[in-house]
Amino acid sequence: MTELTATGAYDLRAIRAVLPHGHPALLIDRVVELEPGHRILATKAITVGEPCYRGVPAGAPGAAYAFPASLLLESVGQAAALLWLLGERGGVGSDSVLMLVAGRDCRIEGRAGPGDVLRHVARIDQVVGDNVFVSGETYVADSRIATVGSMMAVMRPRAAVIPAREPIQVR
Amino acid sequence: MTEILTDRYEELREIVAEVLELEPDELTAEGEFVEEYGADSLRAIEILARIEKRYDVEIPQSELPKMQNLQAVYEMVAQHAGW
Repeated sequence: MTELTATGAYDLRAIRAVLPHGHPALLIDRVVELEPGHRILATKAITVGEPCYRGVPAGAPGAAYAFPASLLLESVGQAAALLWLLGERGGVGSDSVLMLVAGRDCRIEGRAGPGDVLRHVARIDQVVGDNVFVSGETYVADSRIATVGSMMAVMRPRAAVIPAREPIQVR
Repeated sequence: MTEILTDRYEELREIVAEVLELEPDELTAEGEFVEEYGADSLRAIEILARIEKRYDVEIPQSELPKMQNLQAVYEMVAQHAGW
């Protein structure tokens, strides 16, 4: 299921085989290093074409292009999810839902924006059944811009999370 | 039920209080996590995970429904850790 490119990085086909996220929600471009079950180094390049910059007026100051903290933490979470799922789990089954459910001791320590490459380092601290606890940091070049003390992600049966509903009628 | 004041009990109180985002002295022995402190099932898993790590014990997830208050958590951990 997972494939390495000639440079040793997991390509997007392998990433998308594991994470259910599609465009524009997928916030990882490449897995650079992977120690299954322990540690991952994954990257995401930010561009001005990101949906989060839609509507920023031409005269806006540079600060308007700071990559939002919510997306930054989601991106770390996706790196951690890849670490969890590229191991023995192999992906998110069609009958399961993967959720980031808690973040503790998360600090945004610097700013990133278009042209920057986020380098996320994430580690698995503990696995309890279908629940995982991870920690990590994000770097831009040599500067650490975010620290995640602890994040919790869970896998749950789809039926337990999403209530059954009537299909939407298309007229 | 009388409150058992031991170091481990106090340590458990700190672990649970941190997860529930309370001050330790706000957490009573029989205060229900869900009804009184607004906890949900995920908080119970966090508590279980921290206890497993701290005391190096394995606690089956089937014990989660028992973890309704501090006293119940203490008794459940004491049983599995052989206190």
